[in-house]
Amino acid sequence: MPDASASADGANPLCGDRIRVELRGNATHVAEARFTADACALCIASASLLTERVRGMSANEALGIDASWLFESLEGEPPSGRRKCALLPLDTLRRAVAALPSA
Amino acid sequence: MANKFGLIDPTDPAFRDESEVALATLVSATAGSSKKIGAKMIVGRSGRIIGGVTIGGCVDAQVVEAADALFDKTHADRQLLSISLDDDEAWEIGLTCGGTLEVLLTRVDLSAGDDPTVAAHRQAMELLSAGEPTAIVTPIAAGGASYAVASEALDDASVGERTFVDRMAPPLTLVIVGAGQIAMSLTRMARELEMRTVIVDGRDRYATRERFPEADDVLVGMPSEIVAAIDANRRTAILLLAHDYKYELPVLRHVLRKPVGYIGMLGSKKRGAAMRDLLRDEGFSDEELARVHTPIGLDLGGKAPPEVALSILSEIVAVYSGKRA
Repeated sequence: MPDASASADGANPLCGDRIRVELRGNATHVAEARFTADACALCIASASLLTERVRGMSANEALGIDASWLFESLEGEPPSGRRKCALLPLDTLRRAVAALPSA
Repeated sequence: MANKFGLIDPTDPAFRDESEVALATLVSATAGSSKKIGAKMIVGRSGRIIGGVTIGGCVDAQVVEAADALFDKTHADRQLLSISLDDDEAWEIGLTCGGTLEVLLTRVDLSAGDDPTVAAHRQAMELLSAGEPTAIVTPIAAGGASYAVASEALDDASVGERTFVDRMAPPLTLVIVGAGQIAMSLTRMARELEMRTVIVDGRDRYATRERFPEADDVLVGMPSEIVAAIDANRRTAILLLAHDYKYELPVLRHVLRKPVGYIGMLGSKKRGAAMRDLLRDEGFSDEELARVHTPIGLDLGGKAPPEVALSILSEIVAVYSGKRA
């Protein structure tokens, strides 16, 4: 996203999932959210749900998105060995949100 | 000798105690030569021999003898040596039939700062280091010094009668995605073949200098972004060794439409077919998808990482030598 206001990179060091979340807007309003990833299907699905969800939210609302919402949206909690894949985009999104400029 | 092209670099420690060398280059062969036209041998005034214009035997011996004579300053700086072989002699040195070989011998003064051959070789090495296909042009009939040009700048019209044009390609660069054990073996073996290696992985515990001391570069990040940023050309080979679609698909999307000379992917025929199906659905043509060698490597039968690495390098050598692999 060429005009991103904030971004964060995330990686799962052992499986190699890599993701970047980019946001446009400020702490009161996330106008746009995108992600780029070389990652597994579960990680990509999670990133897709999260970036769709966060659009239009304030930073506080975005930081309120939690793992239980994510697992419910994924229609089930992943097996323990794959939880990291689903949670990587959530952690990365939170760091991007925290980096948004104030209004 | 500075590199696989046989170019002379006076700063190379191999030439430390040489004031003069004779450069011998195979410029023509009507016999089926076991070496390519352009094969070089360097004979030092001290007696040192580097390289060879044939696989050995009587031809190389005659070349060494002629080189030694060239150091006698009463001779010209350059000599075109013509060596005729009958069928029996040819057979003895590994050729299938007799004929005539021509070897161009040039005396090179390593101590002088302005030797034209040294200057041409230095210029060629600079061009090759910059990734430019290069030619060293030597006017044989007209005489005159050798000079180096970028191959693209070589104008056929400017090449006079009986001129030897020695074309050279820059080294191959292997971009290896997936920092596993096969990649470790590959970087070691590629060095022997004078290929450059770039290791790419998203996992910083795998893509480390400790694991890849021989690699020219070790890059950690999003593999598709790293590969997209590489200035790829026909001398670039892309090796997908992660055995993980999360890297393979994004990287293939970038490289299938790049002018790289080789793309190979680790995995079974079934896996390769599945990957092609996915990419075909995204709009890649059968012609584009046919560029991917999968299973990667020649079928040598070995399963251990160094054996697989050998099969991959064998395939790459075959492809870049114009053989069907």
